[in-house]
Amino acid sequence: MSETALTSSKPKNSLLSQALPYILAVLAAFLATGIFLWLAGFDVLRAYQTILFTSLSSRNGFIQTLLKFVPLVLTALAFTIPSKANKFNIGSEGQLLLGATGAVAVGILFADLPSIILIPLCLLAGIICGGFWALVPAWLLYRFGINEILSTVLMNFISFQVIDYVATEIWRDPLAGHPTTIAIGENAELPLLVSSPPLHSGIIIVLIVAALVYFYTDYTSAGYELVATGSNAKAAKVYGINTRVLFVLALVLGGAMGGLAGAIEVTGNHHRLIEGMQSNFLPLGIIIGLLSRGNHAAIPFVAFFIAVLEVGASALQRTMFIPVELVFIVEALILIFVLLSDFVRRK
Amino acid sequence: MDFELIIGFAGLVFLAMVPYIFAGLGTMLAGQTGLFIVAQEGIMLTGASIGFLGAYWTDNLFVGVLTAIVAGGLFGLAFAFFTTTLNMNQFVTGLALFFVGLALSTLIFKLAIGVTLTPPLVPTLDKLPIPLLSQIPVVGDILFNQNIFVYLSLLLSGALYYFLYRTSYGLELRSIGENPKAADSLGINVKRGRYFAAIGGAMLISMAGVFLPLVYTGTFTEGITQGRGWLAIALTFFGGWRPHTIFIGALFFAAVDVFALRAQVFGGGIPHQFLLTMPYIATLLIMVFGSRWVRVPTFLGQNYDREKRSV
Amino acid sequence: MPKDIVLEMQNVSKRFGSVIALDDVNLSIQKGEVHGLLGGNGAGKTTLMNVLYGLYQSDAGQVRLGGEPISVHSPKDAINSGIGMVHQRFLQINRFTVTENIVLGTDLQNWPRLNLDTAKEKINELGERFGLPVDPDAILSDLPMGVRQRVEILKALYRGVQVLVLDEPTTNLTPQEVDALFESLRVMVDDGLSVIFITHKLREVLEVCDRITVLRHGKNVLTMEREDASEEAFVTAMVGSDLDVESSIIFSSEQLEKTIGDVGQDTILEVADLTVGEGELVGVKSCSLTLHAGEILGVAGVSGNGQLELIEGILGLRPVHGSVLMQGTDVSTLETHEILKNSVAYVPEDRWQDGFLPTANVAQNLILGLHRQAPYSDGRLLQRHTILDRSNQLIEEFNIKTPGAQDTAGNLSGGNIQRVMLARAFSLPVDLLLIHNPTRGLDIPSMEFVYKKILERKQEGMATLLISENLDELFLLSNRIMVLCNGEQMGELQRGSYDKYAVGRMMSGVRQSE
Repeated sequence: MSETALTSSKPKNSLLSQALPYILAVLAAFLATGIFLWLAGFDVLRAYQTILFTSLSSRNGFIQTLLKFVPLVLTALAFTIPSKANKFNIGSEGQLLLGATGAVAVGILFADLPSIILIPLCLLAGIICGGFWALVPAWLLYRFGINEILSTVLMNFISFQVIDYVATEIWRDPLAGHPTTIAIGENAELPLLVSSPPLHSGIIIVLIVAALVYFYTDYTSAGYELVATGSNAKAAKVYGINTRVLFVLALVLGGAMGGLAGAIEVTGNHHRLIEGMQSNFLPLGIIIGLLSRGNHAAIPFVAFFIAVLEVGASALQRTMFIPVELVFIVEALILIFVLLSDFVRRK
Repeated sequence: MDFELIIGFAGLVFLAMVPYIFAGLGTMLAGQTGLFIVAQEGIMLTGASIGFLGAYWTDNLFVGVLTAIVAGGLFGLAFAFFTTTLNMNQFVTGLALFFVGLALSTLIFKLAIGVTLTPPLVPTLDKLPIPLLSQIPVVGDILFNQNIFVYLSLLLSGALYYFLYRTSYGLELRSIGENPKAADSLGINVKRGRYFAAIGGAMLISMAGVFLPLVYTGTFTEGITQGRGWLAIALTFFGGWRPHTIFIGALFFAAVDVFALRAQVFGGGIPHQFLLTMPYIATLLIMVFGSRWVRVPTFLGQNYDREKRSV
Repeated sequence: MPKDIVLEMQNVSKRFGSVIALDDVNLSIQKGEVHGLLGGNGAGKTTLMNVLYGLYQSDAGQVRLGGEPISVHSPKDAINSGIGMVHQRFLQINRFTVTENIVLGTDLQNWPRLNLDTAKEKINELGERFGLPVDPDAILSDLPMGVRQRVEILKALYRGVQVLVLDEPTTNLTPQEVDALFESLRVMVDDGLSVIFITHKLREVLEVCDRITVLRHGKNVLTMEREDASEEAFVTAMVGSDLDVESSIIFSSEQLEKTIGDVGQDTILEVADLTVGEGELVGVKSCSLTLHAGEILGVAGVSGNGQLELIEGILGLRPVHGSVLMQGTDVSTLETHEILKNSVAYVPEDRWQDGFLPTANVAQNLILGLHRQAPYSDGRLLQRHTILDRSNQLIEEFNIKTPGAQDTAGNLSGGNIQRVMLARAFSLPVDLLLIHNPTRGLDIPSMEFVYKKILERKQEGMATLLISENLDELFLLSNRIMVLCNGEQMGELQRGSYDKYAVGRMMSGVRQSE
């Protein structure tokens, strides 16, 4: 081994060669889906045009994209923060719903408080409820060593019943045909950045939170402990890191992210609790997290890309009657192909 | 309680047990070779969707089951290929396949059926009383007056137990999950064993899925599995990764299921939402108490690469 | 009288990525001989045998058995050709019985159900013939290391091997067990088998082998009859020009003897009546020891006799009764991170499990445990530039072979991971070093380097608790040696009165007589 190689601090690969596997994965996923679409008799080019350019070609589409972007970043963080410690939170769905429930409760019960107090209160309620929903599996892990993957998933199914109860028994909106609560007080609504089409200020909160998380995991000693624990919990423990507490912390922080996502969806977007409002944020958040490969600086960019695809998917369904699930398959395929590129690089 | 009611309840439990047994045994079979699949929910949904369509188009439930098995086999093949041949992380691969199955099931159904006001239906599977045995009082009604899925699930539990614990093939298969390097060093083909178990396991999981439209509802709906795929994973852990204990676990899960449904009828004022959370809460509790006797294959979830240098 | 050649490996080469592990290696084995394959760690001994056994595919070269070229693509091919291997880390299934482990993968009677009775008879018979008694129905995880090794050998004999490869078979054995193993090997070669004996311990090779091949840096150095060879010839062959044998600590320790006795007055570590673990899980029973500044206390014992528990008890990783005084303060109730802050460094035995972060980068590995201390952190924020600079220094000083401090640590080879463990322990000055099997996996020049580092710090007053399964290492470096068996102290020897068999007796549970 030469001396220069040992002391070299230059990155091994250029930016392009690092981005290449991602580009190839996206192309491969579109190609595979294209073949499927072609076989099913659709106009493939028009479909892809719709998917890729809807959000960028109109003001409305762009704002739709930003609105999707907000919960996607947060549900991605809900997955990636615990995954830094090698714990897997598959429960951001439930955490989001509970966070939404918390925000709705505060927004309805204290509707008369001034905005300056009520909005932070709603968001805080969301964070606490989401964090609590993750605390249950975290405690089961801490106390009994229960695998968090299963318990976080099961908490999702429980949350469906919780919000069904809230939306049909407690604050039911009798005019809605679908389980929905009445609206929160106007003072609880997030201020708008753009009024038509409406874009709420949640996006600012999300960007700040994402930056804070990045700082925490990459620049602090506490974040280092998270990374060390995730890499090898036994070794981390041997060298004095309290790994069991860190697992709890990481899961609860993740849950708080999910809860915040729910609270922002309520205060910014729907202004009420709607059954099904979790959409497919859980799998998308996981896909974004896995695509970012633990790099918290990358998450907003990946989330934006996925938001673009998702807005395209809705347009696809409206104009070409191709089910939205098609785009979801594209996204899952991108994930698989990106993982595949690891294998190719190893060889 | 009424005696008739208890027999009826027990009969329903044995019916509700079927998807748990199939999915649990499938998970277990793959797990015995060290493959940890978490795509159950996706595989079951795809099995349900494609299996239903197969039955709907051909008017033949058997064809439906067969299509579901083939679809499941493809998932198993993909899982084995990604993890065993390409050495990709098992958990992440499982998640990705879960997503694919989740989307694929709905996509194919929507593309095939389109938007309809009345859901497409197939006649659900009839009971198939076994001559003589079904005449036995009580036991006959519970055990031998069921549909063919129930018998199949019982037979399968026994057959898998025999295969895994009473033959040398089972010994070899289990050795792969306990220590693939040791198995490999004795000339056992680790990859082949894992491919076999993944494909077979996923086929069983898919059968658990197709059971739901063909026996319960007569049609496919989004989210028809209601988390049973995830519960099956919990069940497999709780069942100690062995066929006979998985059978017992499946009975318990089914009993909770049936009880939760029944209780809605006799509910006595308890909101039905709370009753419907019972299976999940029961599972969480089971995991707490079951963690004492859980016995997981040593190499569960770990890939094996012969030429990887370690130490 | 020339014997028949059973097995030949000709011009074998193998590379892993950019690392050349084997370079044109030749080896020929005669019928009925014990053939020693000698070399330091990383010399390519195990890689060569893994090629022979079909676990690795060679890039070039061929294998001939009885004169005919054979192709070995998997262990199955090797077994069918009559080649058996006992790996250094036993490849066993802990939950299976002895019989199940042995018969796994052979043809068995399956109908109406699996029948192992004939297999058990054969195992008993083989055990008697070769002096390797085992209980066929015992569960593997219940057996001690010595017996587990017999199971591994029986596995090969059961399959009717012609050539048996033993990879570092003496690692976990007491000197007495080693003698028994050597006797069994004699029985086997008298029976017409050939044995390839891989080791880095020169003395064992001279004791049991008929012919010896030395490898260095993946190349053949020499092959000699035992009678023709002197010890010096092998030492030179093993280390080559990598090490100046004359001034080396390992091979000429006169220099060392002059300074090793310098021990300070201050008590650094005082353990009194320490019991580690609770109930059934007691790992160490009322152990007492004192360690002064500049002193090296060796701890001998067969692996798994309380060494790990002792260290982890001292470090606060396991529940303890009794007292642990570090420079006068009782630390037995403190958390691990508080104890480590007390100027303590630790090199764990199981670097994979207890010391290494595979998915983190090299720099992150080098600061594990120091990540809240100056200069790497101000307590809250990481000092990223300092960490990088310091890591690059350590990489150079400890000769860690990596593309850079920010490269993933998982790409490192075993020896380099050990260097990371050591670099971490020596990166900041400490008063107490707890070090467990520090040179496992290192080549001879690196061992020399580690010993020098330890002695250097000893001169500066660092106290060292050196736990090792390598008696040579303990005899070389320790001021005193205590022996553990079943978590109990069996006795203690002073430098000058070290005796391999005395230690061996204590290792197998016989208390030292006063």
